[in-house]
Amino acid sequence: MTAVIQVKDLVKQYSKTKEPSVKGISFDVEEGEFFAFLGPNGAGKTTTISILTTTLAMTSGEVRIAGYDVSTQARLVRENVGITFQQPSLDENLTAEENIRFHACLYGMCGYRPTFKLMPASYRKRVMDLAEIVGIQDSLFRPIKKLSGGMQRKLEIVRSLVHTPAVLFLDEPTQGLDAVSRRGLWEYLNEARKAQGTTVFLTTHYIDEAEHVDTVCIINQGVIAASTSPEAMKKSVSTRIENPTLEDAYVECLTRTGGLAA
Amino acid sequence: MTTIEATAIATAAARVQGATSRTTTEATAKAAGASVSTGAGTSTGAGTGTKTEQALVRRQSRVWREVNATITILMRDVVLSFKSPSSLIMSLVMPIMMMGMIGGNLMQNMAGGLGFDFGTFMLIGMLVNMLFMVTATGMTSLVEDERTDFTQEMRVSPVSRYSIVVGKILGSSFGAIVSMLGTVIVGLIMGITLSLGQWAIILLLSPFICLSGGALAMILIGVIKSARTANLAVMLIVMPQMFLSGAIIPIAQSSGVLFYVSRALPMTYCIDLVRAVVYAGTPEYAGVVLFNPAVSILVIAAITVVCLILGTFLFARSGKNR
Repeated sequence: MTAVIQVKDLVKQYSKTKEPSVKGISFDVEEGEFFAFLGPNGAGKTTTISILTTTLAMTSGEVRIAGYDVSTQARLVRENVGITFQQPSLDENLTAEENIRFHACLYGMCGYRPTFKLMPASYRKRVMDLAEIVGIQDSLFRPIKKLSGGMQRKLEIVRSLVHTPAVLFLDEPTQGLDAVSRRGLWEYLNEARKAQGTTVFLTTHYIDEAEHVDTVCIINQGVIAASTSPEAMKKSVSTRIENPTLEDAYVECLTRTGGLAA
Repeated sequence: MTTIEATAIATAAARVQGATSRTTTEATAKAAGASVSTGAGTSTGAGTGTKTEQALVRRQSRVWREVNATITILMRDVVLSFKSPSSLIMSLVMPIMMMGMIGGNLMQNMAGGLGFDFGTFMLIGMLVNMLFMVTATGMTSLVEDERTDFTQEMRVSPVSRYSIVVGKILGSSFGAIVSMLGTVIVGLIMGITLSLGQWAIILLLSPFICLSGGALAMILIGVIKSARTANLAVMLIVMPQMFLSGAIIPIAQSSGVLFYVSRALPMTYCIDLVRAVVYAGTPEYAGVVLFNPAVSILVIAAITVVCLILGTFLFARSGKNR
Protein backbone atom coordinates (compact mmCIF):
# COMPACT_ATOMS: atom_id res chain seq x y z
CA MET A 1 0.00 0.00 0.00
CA THR A 2 1.26 3.49 -0.83
CA ALA A 3 0.34 6.74 0.81
CA VAL A 4 -1.85 8.82 -1.50
CA ILE A 5 -1.85 11.72 0.99
CA GLN A 6 1.41 12.58 2.74
CA VAL A 7 1.47 15.44 5.22
CA LYS A 8 4.70 16.33 6.98
CA ASP A 9 5.21 19.07 9.58
CA LEU A 10 2.38 21.17 8.15
CA VAL A 11 2.12 24.65 9.64
CA LYS A 12 -0.41 27.32 8.75
CA GLN A 13 -0.52 30.75 10.33
CA TYR A 14 -3.07 33.18 8.91
CA SER A 15 -1.97 36.76 8.41
CA LYS A 16 -2.79 39.08 11.32
CA THR A 17 -2.97 36.19 13.81
CA LYS A 18 -0.63 35.68 16.73
CA GLU A 19 -0.29 31.89 16.57
CA PRO A 20 -0.65 29.19 13.92
CA SER A 21 -3.99 27.46 13.31
CA VAL A 22 -2.19 24.28 12.32
CA LYS A 23 0.98 23.55 14.31
CA GLY A 24 3.26 21.13 12.52
CA ILE A 25 0.94 18.17 11.91
CA SER A 26 2.01 14.97 10.10
CA PHE A 27 -0.02 12.01 8.86
CA ASP A 28 -0.35 9.65 5.87
CA VAL A 29 -3.46 8.29 4.16
CA GLU A 30 -3.14 5.06 2.21
CA GLU A 31 -4.66 4.48 -1.22
CA GLY A 32 -8.33 3.42 -0.94
CA GLU A 33 -8.47 4.29 2.75
CA PHE A 34 -11.51 5.86 4.40
CA PHE A 35 -9.95 8.52 6.63
CA ALA A 36 -11.91 10.61 9.12
CA PHE A 37 -10.34 13.88 10.24
CA LEU A 38 -12.22 14.95 13.35
CA GLY A 39 -11.99 17.85 15.71
CA PRO A 40 -13.99 20.60 17.39
CA ASN A 41 -14.79 23.93 15.76
CA GLY A 42 -11.63 25.94 15.11
CA ALA A 43 -9.34 22.92 15.51
CA GLY A 44 -7.80 23.35 12.04
CA LYS A 45 -9.80 20.81 9.97
CA THR A 46 -10.97 23.13 7.18
CA THR A 47 -7.59 24.88 7.14
CA THR A 48 -5.88 21.52 6.60
CA ILE A 49 -8.36 20.41 3.92
CA SER A 50 -7.97 23.77 2.13
CA ILE A 51 -4.19 23.32 2.00
CA LEU A 52 -4.53 19.73 0.81
CA THR A 53 -6.84 20.81 -2.00
CA THR A 54 -4.55 23.71 -3.06
CA THR A 55 -7.00 26.49 -2.22
CA LEU A 56 -4.88 27.80 0.66
CA ALA A 57 -1.13 28.34 0.86
CA MET A 58 0.73 26.72 3.76
CA THR A 59 3.19 28.55 5.97
CA SER A 60 5.65 25.63 6.06
CA GLY A 61 5.80 21.88 5.74
CA GLU A 62 5.40 19.35 2.95
CA VAL A 63 2.18 17.98 1.48
CA ARG A 64 1.93 15.51 -1.38
CA ILE A 65 -1.29 14.26 -2.95
CA ALA A 66 -1.08 11.29 -5.33
CA GLY A 67 2.67 11.90 -5.38
CA TYR A 68 2.40 15.56 -6.36
CA ASP A 69 3.54 18.49 -4.26
CA VAL A 70 0.63 20.86 -3.46
CA SER A 71 2.86 23.94 -3.58
CA THR A 72 4.75 23.31 -6.80
CA GLN A 73 2.44 20.93 -8.70
CA ALA A 74 -0.95 22.36 -7.78
CA ARG A 75 -2.55 21.66 -11.15
CA LEU A 76 -1.56 17.98 -11.04
CA VAL A 77 -2.91 17.75 -7.50
CA ARG A 78 -6.21 19.25 -8.68
CA GLU A 79 -6.39 16.61 -11.41
CA ASN A 80 -6.47 13.93 -8.75
CA VAL A 81 -8.88 15.29 -6.19
CA GLY A 82 -12.61 15.83 -5.87
CA ILE A 83 -13.99 18.14 -3.21
CA THR A 84 -17.26 18.77 -1.46
CA PHE A 85 -16.81 22.03 0.37
CA GLN A 86 -18.23 22.90 3.77
CA GLN A 87 -20.17 25.75 2.12
CA PRO A 88 -22.19 24.87 -1.01
CA SER A 89 -20.38 25.94 -4.17
CA LEU A 90 -23.14 25.42 -6.74
CA ASP A 91 -24.40 28.09 -9.11
CA GLU A 92 -27.95 28.58 -7.90
CA ASN A 93 -29.10 30.07 -11.20
CA LEU A 94 -28.05 27.04 -13.23
CA THR A 95 -29.84 23.70 -13.24
CA ALA A 96 -28.38 20.65 -11.52
CA GLU A 97 -27.28 19.23 -14.87
CA GLU A 98 -25.72 22.53 -15.96
CA ASN A 99 -23.65 22.56 -12.77
CA ILE A 100 -22.41 19.04 -13.48
CA ARG A 101 -21.75 19.93 -17.13
CA PHE A 102 -19.71 22.95 -16.05
CA HIS A 103 -17.64 20.73 -13.77
CA ALA A 104 -17.15 17.94 -16.32
CA CYS A 105 -16.00 20.43 -18.96
CA LEU A 106 -13.59 22.18 -16.58
CA TYR A 107 -12.01 18.80 -15.83
CA GLY A 108 -11.64 18.04 -19.54
CA MET A 109 -14.09 15.14 -19.51
CA CYS A 110 -15.85 16.43 -22.63
CA GLY A 111 -16.11 19.45 -24.87
CA TYR A 112 -18.68 22.08 -23.95
CA ARG A 113 -22.00 21.95 -25.80
CA PRO A 114 -24.85 24.38 -25.13
CA THR A 115 -27.50 21.77 -24.27
CA PHE A 116 -27.62 18.40 -22.50
CA LYS A 117 -28.93 16.70 -25.65
CA LEU A 118 -25.88 17.87 -27.60
CA MET A 119 -23.44 16.53 -25.00
CA PRO A 120 -21.62 13.24 -25.76
CA ALA A 121 -23.57 10.03 -25.05
CA SER A 122 -20.98 8.93 -22.44
CA TYR A 123 -21.58 12.13 -20.49
CA ARG A 124 -25.37 11.86 -20.69
CA LYS A 125 -25.28 8.26 -19.53
CA ARG A 126 -22.95 9.00 -16.64
CA VAL A 127 -25.06 11.91 -15.44
CA MET A 128 -28.31 9.95 -15.70
CA ASP A 129 -26.76 6.97 -13.86
CA LEU A 130 -25.43 9.14 -11.04
CA ALA A 131 -28.70 11.06 -10.80
CA GLU A 132 -30.62 7.81 -10.52
CA ILE A 133 -28.34 6.49 -7.80
CA VAL A 134 -28.83 9.55 -5.59
CA GLY A 135 -32.47 9.97 -6.58
CA ILE A 136 -32.28 13.37 -8.24
CA GLN A 137 -33.21 12.29 -11.79
CA ASP A 138 -36.50 14.19 -11.59
CA SER A 139 -34.74 17.36 -10.45
CA LEU A 140 -31.83 17.22 -12.85
CA PHE A 141 -33.14 20.00 -15.04
CA ARG A 142 -34.50 22.21 -12.28
CA PRO A 143 -32.63 25.29 -11.02
CA ILE A 144 -30.52 24.61 -7.93
CA LYS A 145 -32.41 27.18 -5.89
CA LYS A 146 -35.52 25.00 -6.19
CA LEU A 147 -33.79 21.92 -4.76
CA SER A 148 -33.78 21.01 -1.08
CA GLY A 149 -30.58 21.26 0.98
CA GLY A 150 -30.25 17.47 0.94
CA MET A 151 -30.55 17.29 -2.83
CA GLN A 152 -28.02 20.07 -3.27
CA ARG A 153 -25.56 18.20 -1.06
CA LYS A 154 -26.09 14.98 -3.00
CA LEU A 155 -25.57 16.89 -6.22
CA GLU A 156 -22.30 18.32 -4.93
CA ILE A 157 -21.05 14.84 -4.14
CA VAL A 158 -22.15 13.53 -7.54
CA ARG A 159 -20.35 16.47 -9.13
CA SER A 160 -17.15 15.82 -7.19
CA LEU A 161 -17.16 12.18 -8.38
CA VAL A 162 -17.87 12.83 -12.08
CA HIS A 163 -14.18 13.02 -12.95
CA THR A 164 -13.37 9.84 -10.95
CA PRO A 165 -10.86 11.44 -8.57
CA ALA A 166 -8.23 9.40 -6.78
CA VAL A 167 -8.96 11.23 -3.52
CA LEU A 168 -12.32 12.61 -2.46
CA PHE A 169 -12.33 15.34 0.19
CA LEU A 170 -15.61 15.73 2.06
CA ASP A 171 -15.69 18.73 4.36
CA GLU A 172 -18.70 18.22 6.62
CA PRO A 173 -20.81 16.82 3.76
CA THR A 174 -23.89 16.09 5.86
CA GLN A 175 -24.00 19.40 7.69
CA GLY A 176 -27.60 20.62 7.91
CA LEU A 177 -29.11 17.45 6.47
CA ASP A 178 -31.94 15.48 8.06
CA ALA A 179 -31.39 11.89 9.21
CA VAL A 180 -32.99 10.32 6.12
CA SER A 181 -30.89 12.42 3.71
CA ARG A 182 -27.75 11.64 5.73
CA ARG A 183 -28.42 7.92 5.58
CA GLY A 184 -29.14 8.03 1.84
CA LEU A 185 -25.99 10.02 1.21
CA TRP A 186 -23.80 7.60 3.16
CA GLU A 187 -25.29 4.58 1.43
CA TYR A 188 -24.39 6.14 -1.90
CA LEU A 189 -20.94 7.23 -0.77
CA ASN A 190 -20.04 3.84 0.69
CA GLU A 191 -21.20 2.08 -2.45
CA ALA A 192 -19.33 4.50 -4.71
CA ARG A 193 -16.19 4.28 -2.56
CA LYS A 194 -16.16 0.49 -2.64
CA ALA A 195 -16.93 0.33 -6.35
CA GLN A 196 -14.42 2.95 -7.49
CA GLY A 197 -11.73 2.41 -4.84
CA THR A 198 -11.64 6.11 -4.07
CA THR A 199 -9.67 7.33 -1.07
CA VAL A 200 -12.02 9.37 1.10
CA PHE A 201 -10.87 12.14 3.44
CA LEU A 202 -13.79 13.13 5.65
CA THR A 203 -14.34 15.84 8.20
CA THR A 204 -17.56 15.77 10.20
CA HIS A 205 -19.11 16.77 13.49
CA TYR A 206 -21.37 13.69 13.45
CA ILE A 207 -18.98 11.27 15.16
CA ASP A 208 -21.20 8.26 14.41
CA GLU A 209 -20.44 8.81 10.71
CA ALA A 210 -16.83 7.86 11.46
CA GLU A 211 -17.72 4.52 13.09
CA HIS A 212 -16.93 2.55 9.93
CA VAL A 213 -13.87 4.38 8.67
CA ASP A 214 -10.41 2.81 8.50
CA THR A 215 -8.62 5.54 10.43
CA VAL A 216 -9.78 8.25 12.80
CA CYS A 217 -7.44 11.20 13.14
CA ILE A 218 -8.30 13.80 15.78
CA ILE A 219 -6.97 17.32 15.56
CA ASN A 220 -7.31 19.65 18.52
CA GLN A 221 -5.99 23.20 18.77
CA GLY A 222 -3.89 22.68 15.66
CA VAL A 223 -2.12 19.49 16.75
CA ILE A 224 -2.87 15.81 16.15
CA ALA A 225 -4.36 14.38 19.34
CA ALA A 226 -4.81 10.81 18.11
CA SER A 227 -4.63 8.75 14.93
CA THR A 228 -5.79 5.16 14.99
CA SER A 229 -8.65 2.83 14.01
CA PRO A 230 -12.12 3.43 15.53
CA GLU A 231 -11.91 0.12 17.40
CA ALA A 232 -8.52 0.90 18.91
CA MET A 233 -9.80 4.31 19.86
CA LYS A 234 -12.80 2.87 21.66
CA LYS A 235 -10.56 0.43 23.51
CA SER A 236 -8.44 3.30 24.78
CA VAL A 237 -11.39 4.77 26.68
CA SER A 238 -11.12 4.68 30.47
CA THR A 239 -12.83 1.74 32.14
CA ARG A 240 -15.41 3.99 33.83
CA ILE A 241 -17.55 3.87 30.66
CA GLU A 242 -19.28 0.62 29.67
CA ASN A 243 -19.42 -0.21 25.96
CA PRO A 244 -17.97 3.14 24.91
CA THR A 245 -18.95 4.62 21.57
CA LEU A 246 -16.59 6.43 19.22
CA GLU A 247 -18.08 9.68 20.47
CA ASP A 248 -17.12 8.75 24.05
CA ALA A 249 -13.60 8.06 22.88
CA TYR A 250 -13.52 11.30 20.89
CA VAL A 251 -14.69 13.47 23.79
CA GLU A 252 -12.26 11.80 26.20
CA CYS A 253 -9.42 12.29 23.74
CA LEU A 254 -10.18 15.99 23.43
CA THR A 255 -10.43 16.41 27.20
CA ARG A 256 -7.16 14.54 27.72
CA THR A 257 -5.30 16.61 25.10
CA GLY A 258 -5.95 20.12 26.27
CA GLY A 259 -9.72 20.51 26.27
CA LEU A 260 -11.86 22.00 23.53
CA ALA A 261 -10.72 24.73 21.22
CA ALA A 262 -12.28 28.15 21.73
CA MET B 1 -25.71 -5.86 -11.74
CA THR B 2 -26.54 -2.51 -10.13
CA THR B 3 -26.08 0.77 -11.97
CA ILE B 4 -23.22 1.75 -9.72
CA GLU B 5 -21.50 -1.56 -10.35
CA ALA B 6 -21.80 -1.04 -14.09
CA THR B 7 -20.40 2.46 -13.73
CA ALA B 8 -17.62 1.14 -11.53
CA ILE B 9 -16.58 -1.46 -14.08
CA ALA B 10 -16.35 1.22 -16.73
CA THR B 11 -14.49 3.52 -14.34
CA ALA B 12 -12.07 0.78 -13.38
CA ALA B 13 -11.45 0.12 -17.06
CA ALA B 14 -10.74 3.79 -17.59
CA ARG B 15 -8.43 3.80 -14.58
CA VAL B 16 -6.48 0.78 -15.79
CA GLN B 17 -6.15 2.41 -19.17
CA GLY B 18 -5.19 5.67 -17.45
CA ALA B 19 -2.64 3.99 -15.22
CA THR B 20 -0.95 2.40 -18.23
CA SER B 21 -0.95 5.70 -20.01
CA ARG B 22 0.31 7.49 -16.90
CA THR B 23 3.24 5.15 -16.41
CA THR B 24 4.32 5.46 -20.02
CA THR B 25 3.83 9.21 -20.15
CA GLU B 26 5.58 9.82 -16.85
CA ALA B 27 8.53 7.69 -17.86
CA THR B 28 8.86 9.63 -21.09
CA ALA B 29 8.43 12.94 -19.30
CA LYS B 30 10.93 12.06 -16.58
CA ALA B 31 13.47 11.27 -19.25
CA ALA B 32 12.76 14.66 -20.81
CA GLY B 33 12.69 16.38 -17.43
CA ALA B 34 9.15 17.64 -17.95
CA SER B 35 6.01 17.50 -15.87
CA VAL B 36 2.98 15.73 -17.24
CA SER B 37 -0.75 16.01 -16.91
CA THR B 38 -2.01 12.81 -15.41
CA GLY B 39 -4.59 11.71 -12.93
CA ALA B 40 -7.22 9.17 -12.20
CA GLY B 41 -9.26 8.51 -15.22
CA THR B 42 -6.63 9.85 -17.61
CA SER B 43 -6.62 7.84 -20.76
CA THR B 44 -4.91 7.67 -24.06
CA GLY B 45 -7.30 8.17 -26.84
CA ALA B 46 -9.64 9.95 -24.50
CA GLY B 47 -12.49 11.59 -26.22
CA THR B 48 -11.98 9.43 -29.26
CA GLY B 49 -13.41 6.32 -27.69
CA THR B 50 -15.87 4.07 -29.40
CA LYS B 51 -19.62 4.69 -29.22
CA THR B 52 -20.05 1.76 -26.82
CA GLU B 53 -17.61 3.28 -24.29
CA GLN B 54 -19.50 3.96 -21.06
CA ALA B 55 -16.94 5.83 -18.99
CA LEU B 56 -16.10 9.48 -19.31
CA VAL B 57 -12.38 9.88 -19.75
CA ARG B 58 -10.22 12.97 -19.79
CA ARG B 59 -8.59 14.46 -22.82
CA GLN B 60 -4.82 14.65 -22.77
CA SER B 61 -4.22 17.84 -24.73
CA ARG B 62 -3.51 20.69 -22.35
CA VAL B 63 -4.32 23.30 -25.00
CA TRP B 64 -7.69 21.67 -25.79
CA ARG B 65 -8.56 21.55 -22.11
CA GLU B 66 -7.65 25.19 -21.48
CA VAL B 67 -9.63 26.36 -24.52
CA ASN B 68 -12.57 24.16 -23.50
CA ALA B 69 -12.45 25.55 -19.95
CA THR B 70 -12.40 29.12 -21.29
CA ILE B 71 -15.42 28.39 -23.51
CA THR B 72 -17.24 26.70 -20.61
CA ILE B 73 -16.76 29.73 -18.34
CA LEU B 74 -17.74 32.06 -21.19
CA MET B 75 -20.90 30.05 -21.94
CA ARG B 76 -21.94 30.03 -18.29
CA ASP B 77 -22.24 33.84 -18.46
CA VAL B 78 -24.16 33.60 -21.73
CA VAL B 79 -26.58 31.04 -20.22
CA LEU B 80 -27.00 33.20 -17.11
CA SER B 81 -27.72 36.23 -19.31
CA PHE B 82 -30.61 34.41 -20.96
CA LYS B 83 -31.88 33.15 -17.62
CA SER B 84 -31.88 36.69 -16.28
CA PRO B 85 -33.26 38.78 -19.19
CA SER B 86 -33.20 41.94 -17.05
CA SER B 87 -29.43 42.21 -17.56
CA LEU B 88 -29.89 41.86 -21.32
CA ILE B 89 -32.65 44.45 -21.31
CA MET B 90 -30.39 46.83 -19.36
CA SER B 91 -27.64 46.26 -21.92
CA LEU B 92 -30.07 47.22 -24.66
CA VAL B 93 -31.54 50.20 -22.81
CA MET B 94 -28.22 51.74 -21.76
CA PRO B 95 -27.37 52.99 -25.29
CA ILE B 96 -30.68 54.89 -25.36
CA MET B 97 -29.54 56.86 -22.34
CA MET B 98 -25.90 57.19 -23.33
CA MET B 99 -26.21 57.87 -27.02
CA GLY B 100 -29.82 58.87 -27.49
CA MET B 101 -29.93 61.39 -24.66
CA ILE B 102 -26.37 62.62 -24.04
CA GLY B 103 -25.16 62.15 -27.62
CA GLY B 104 -28.36 63.44 -29.18
CA ASN B 105 -28.22 66.61 -27.10
CA LEU B 106 -24.58 67.25 -27.99
CA MET B 107 -25.30 66.57 -31.65
CA GLN B 108 -28.10 69.14 -31.76
CA ASN B 109 -26.46 71.87 -29.68
CA MET B 110 -22.66 71.66 -29.79
CA ALA B 111 -21.52 69.80 -32.89
CA GLY B 112 -21.39 72.62 -35.40
CA GLY B 113 -18.14 73.60 -37.16
CA LEU B 114 -16.15 70.54 -36.21
CA GLY B 115 -15.06 69.76 -39.74
CA PHE B 116 -16.44 66.23 -39.61
CA ASP B 117 -19.80 64.51 -39.15
CA PHE B 118 -20.38 64.40 -35.40
CA GLY B 119 -22.97 61.62 -35.65
CA THR B 120 -20.52 59.10 -37.10
CA PHE B 121 -17.79 60.29 -34.73
CA MET B 122 -20.09 59.77 -31.75
CA LEU B 123 -21.48 56.43 -32.93
CA ILE B 124 -17.99 54.91 -33.14
CA GLY B 125 -17.06 56.38 -29.75
CA MET B 126 -20.23 55.02 -28.16
CA LEU B 127 -19.77 51.57 -29.69
CA VAL B 128 -16.29 51.28 -28.21
CA ASN B 129 -17.45 52.82 -24.95
CA MET B 130 -20.24 50.23 -24.66
CA LEU B 131 -17.90 47.33 -25.36
CA PHE B 132 -15.34 48.60 -22.86
CA MET B 133 -17.75 49.69 -20.14
CA VAL B 134 -20.19 46.75 -20.19
CA THR B 135 -17.36 44.21 -20.20
CA ALA B 136 -15.64 45.97 -17.29
CA THR B 137 -18.84 46.21 -15.22
CA GLY B 138 -19.72 42.59 -16.09
CA MET B 139 -16.51 41.46 -14.43
CA THR B 140 -17.96 42.40 -11.05
CA SER B 141 -20.01 39.18 -11.19
CA LEU B 142 -16.76 37.42 -10.28
CA VAL B 143 -16.97 39.11 -6.87
CA GLU B 144 -20.54 37.84 -6.57
CA ASP B 145 -19.29 34.36 -7.46
CA GLU B 146 -16.75 34.74 -4.66
CA ARG B 147 -19.53 35.60 -2.22
CA THR B 148 -21.59 32.56 -3.19
CA ASP B 149 -18.45 30.36 -3.10
CA PHE B 150 -18.84 29.40 -6.76
CA THR B 151 -15.29 30.59 -7.48
CA GLN B 152 -14.14 27.71 -5.24
CA GLU B 153 -15.40 25.34 -7.94
CA MET B 154 -13.25 27.14 -10.50
CA ARG B 155 -10.24 27.54 -8.21
CA VAL B 156 -9.97 23.79 -7.50
CA SER B 157 -10.30 22.81 -11.14
CA PRO B 158 -7.12 21.78 -12.99
CA VAL B 159 -7.13 24.73 -15.38
CA SER B 160 -4.91 27.77 -15.68
CA ARG B 161 -6.00 30.85 -13.74
CA TYR B 162 -5.61 32.77 -17.02
CA SER B 163 -8.24 30.52 -18.62
CA ILE B 164 -10.62 31.38 -15.78
CA VAL B 165 -10.05 35.12 -16.09
CA VAL B 166 -10.11 35.21 -19.91
CA GLY B 167 -13.27 33.04 -19.91
CA LYS B 168 -14.88 35.44 -17.49
CA ILE B 169 -13.89 38.48 -19.59
CA LEU B 170 -15.25 36.89 -22.76
CA GLY B 171 -18.43 35.92 -20.90
CA SER B 172 -18.87 39.51 -19.74
CA SER B 173 -18.34 40.71 -23.29
CA PHE B 174 -21.56 38.96 -24.34
CA GLY B 175 -23.53 41.72 -22.60
CA ALA B 176 -21.22 44.22 -24.30
CA ILE B 177 -22.09 42.84 -27.74
CA VAL B 178 -25.80 43.19 -26.85
CA SER B 179 -25.14 46.81 -25.86
CA MET B 180 -23.34 47.33 -29.15
CA LEU B 181 -26.44 46.07 -30.91
CA GLY B 182 -28.55 48.54 -28.91
CA THR B 183 -26.18 51.34 -29.91
CA VAL B 184 -26.55 50.41 -33.57
CA ILE B 185 -30.35 50.50 -33.27
CA VAL B 186 -30.26 53.90 -31.55
CA GLY B 187 -27.83 55.10 -34.23
CA LEU B 188 -30.19 53.97 -36.97
CA ILE B 189 -33.09 55.78 -35.29
CA MET B 190 -30.93 58.92 -35.14
CA GLY B 191 -30.07 58.53 -38.82
CA ILE B 192 -26.41 57.60 -38.24
CA THR B 193 -25.21 54.68 -40.35
CA LEU B 194 -21.93 52.95 -41.15
CA SER B 195 -21.04 50.84 -44.17
CA LEU B 196 -20.89 47.04 -43.97
CA GLY B 197 -17.10 47.18 -44.25
CA GLN B 198 -16.89 49.58 -41.33
CA TRP B 199 -19.10 47.27 -39.27
CA ALA B 200 -16.91 44.32 -40.12
CA ILE B 201 -13.82 46.21 -38.91
CA ILE B 202 -15.51 47.17 -35.63
CA LEU B 203 -16.66 43.60 -35.05
CA LEU B 204 -13.17 42.33 -35.78
CA LEU B 205 -11.65 44.70 -33.22
CA SER B 206 -14.35 44.18 -30.58
CA PRO B 207 -12.70 41.16 -28.82
CA PHE B 208 -9.55 43.22 -28.19
CA ILE B 209 -11.56 46.13 -26.82
CA CYS B 210 -13.53 43.81 -24.53
CA LEU B 211 -10.34 42.11 -23.40
CA SER B 212 -8.70 45.43 -22.52
CA GLY B 213 -11.79 46.64 -20.61
CA GLY B 214 -12.14 43.35 -18.73
CA ALA B 215 -8.42 43.16 -17.95
CA LEU B 216 -8.45 46.70 -16.54
CA ALA B 217 -11.41 45.85 -14.30
CA MET B 218 -9.71 42.62 -13.22
CA ILE B 219 -7.06 44.59 -11.31
CA LEU B 220 -9.79 45.89 -9.03
CA ILE B 221 -11.80 42.65 -8.95
CA GLY B 222 -8.69 40.79 -7.83
CA VAL B 223 -8.49 42.73 -4.58
CA ILE B 224 -12.09 43.70 -3.78
CA LYS B 225 -14.27 41.31 -1.79
CA SER B 226 -17.58 43.20 -1.72
CA ALA B 227 -19.82 43.23 -4.81
CA ARG B 228 -21.09 46.69 -3.91
CA THR B 229 -17.58 48.12 -3.62
CA ALA B 230 -16.56 46.38 -6.83
CA ASN B 231 -19.47 47.94 -8.74
CA LEU B 232 -18.56 51.40 -7.44
CA ALA B 233 -14.85 50.94 -8.12
CA VAL B 234 -15.40 49.75 -11.67
CA MET B 235 -17.78 52.63 -12.36
CA LEU B 236 -15.08 54.97 -11.07
CA ILE B 237 -12.64 53.75 -13.69
CA VAL B 238 -15.06 53.51 -16.61
CA MET B 239 -17.22 56.62 -16.26
CA PRO B 240 -14.40 59.20 -16.52
CA GLN B 241 -13.18 57.41 -19.63
CA MET B 242 -16.52 57.97 -21.33
CA PHE B 243 -16.04 61.74 -21.11
CA LEU B 244 -12.25 62.06 -21.21
CA SER B 245 -11.22 59.53 -23.84
CA GLY B 246 -13.05 61.10 -26.77
CA ALA B 247 -16.02 58.75 -26.93
CA ILE B 248 -18.55 61.53 -27.40
CA ILE B 249 -16.58 64.72 -26.75
CA PRO B 250 -13.62 65.41 -29.09
CA ILE B 251 -10.32 65.63 -27.20
CA ALA B 252 -8.02 66.74 -30.03
CA GLN B 253 -7.87 70.26 -28.55
CA SER B 254 -7.45 69.15 -24.89
CA SER B 255 -4.63 70.82 -22.99
CA GLY B 256 -3.15 70.90 -19.49
CA VAL B 257 -4.24 68.23 -17.05
CA LEU B 258 -7.05 66.99 -19.31
CA PHE B 259 -4.50 66.39 -22.09
CA TYR B 260 -2.39 64.14 -19.88
CA VAL B 261 -5.39 62.38 -18.35
CA SER B 262 -6.88 61.58 -21.75
CA ARG B 263 -3.55 60.11 -22.89
CA ALA B 264 -3.35 57.95 -19.77
CA LEU B 265 -6.75 56.31 -20.32
CA PRO B 266 -6.75 52.93 -22.12
CA MET B 267 -10.10 53.57 -23.80
CA THR B 268 -8.61 56.62 -25.60
CA TYR B 269 -6.42 54.25 -27.62
CA CYS B 270 -9.25 51.76 -28.23
CA ILE B 271 -11.50 54.49 -29.62
CA ASP B 272 -8.71 56.05 -31.64
CA LEU B 273 -7.73 52.70 -33.16
CA VAL B 274 -11.29 52.02 -34.31
CA ARG B 275 -11.64 55.54 -35.69
CA ALA B 276 -8.28 55.21 -37.46
CA VAL B 277 -9.42 52.13 -39.38
CA VAL B 278 -12.96 53.40 -40.01
CA TYR B 279 -11.81 56.84 -41.21
CA ALA B 280 -8.75 55.54 -43.13
CA GLY B 281 -8.45 57.25 -46.53
CA THR B 282 -11.11 59.86 -45.78
CA PRO B 283 -10.56 63.66 -45.64
CA GLU B 284 -11.78 63.67 -42.01
CA TYR B 285 -8.96 61.36 -40.83
CA ALA B 286 -6.57 64.13 -39.72
CA GLY B 287 -9.25 65.93 -37.73
CA VAL B 288 -10.57 62.84 -36.00
CA VAL B 289 -7.63 60.46 -35.39
CA LEU B 290 -5.02 61.32 -32.76
CA PHE B 291 -2.39 58.59 -33.05
CA ASN B 292 -0.83 56.27 -35.58
CA PRO B 293 -2.84 52.99 -35.39
CA ALA B 294 0.39 51.08 -34.64
CA VAL B 295 0.88 53.21 -31.52
CA SER B 296 -2.69 52.51 -30.40
CA ILE B 297 -2.27 48.77 -30.95
CA LEU B 298 0.98 48.75 -28.98
CA VAL B 299 -0.48 50.74 -26.09
CA ILE B 300 -3.66 48.60 -25.96
CA ALA B 301 -1.64 45.37 -26.12
CA ALA B 302 0.77 46.54 -23.40
CA ILE B 303 -1.99 47.72 -21.05
CA THR B 304 -4.06 44.57 -21.63
CA VAL B 305 -1.16 42.19 -21.03
CA VAL B 306 0.00 44.02 -17.90
CA CYS B 307 -3.54 44.26 -16.48
CA LEU B 308 -4.29 40.64 -17.33
CA ILE B 309 -1.14 39.34 -15.66
CA LEU B 310 -1.54 41.56 -12.61
CA GLY B 311 -5.30 40.97 -12.32
CA THR B 312 -4.94 37.19 -12.64
CA PHE B 313 -2.11 37.19 -10.10
CA LEU B 314 -4.24 39.14 -7.63
CA PHE B 315 -7.26 36.88 -8.25
CA ALA B 316 -5.21 33.71 -7.71
CA ARG B 317 -3.48 35.16 -4.68
CA SER B 318 -6.56 36.62 -2.99
CA GLY B 319 -8.06 33.25 -2.11
CA LYS B 320 -4.85 31.40 -1.44
CA ASN B 321 -2.73 33.79 0.62
CA ARG B 322 -4.72 34.51 3.71
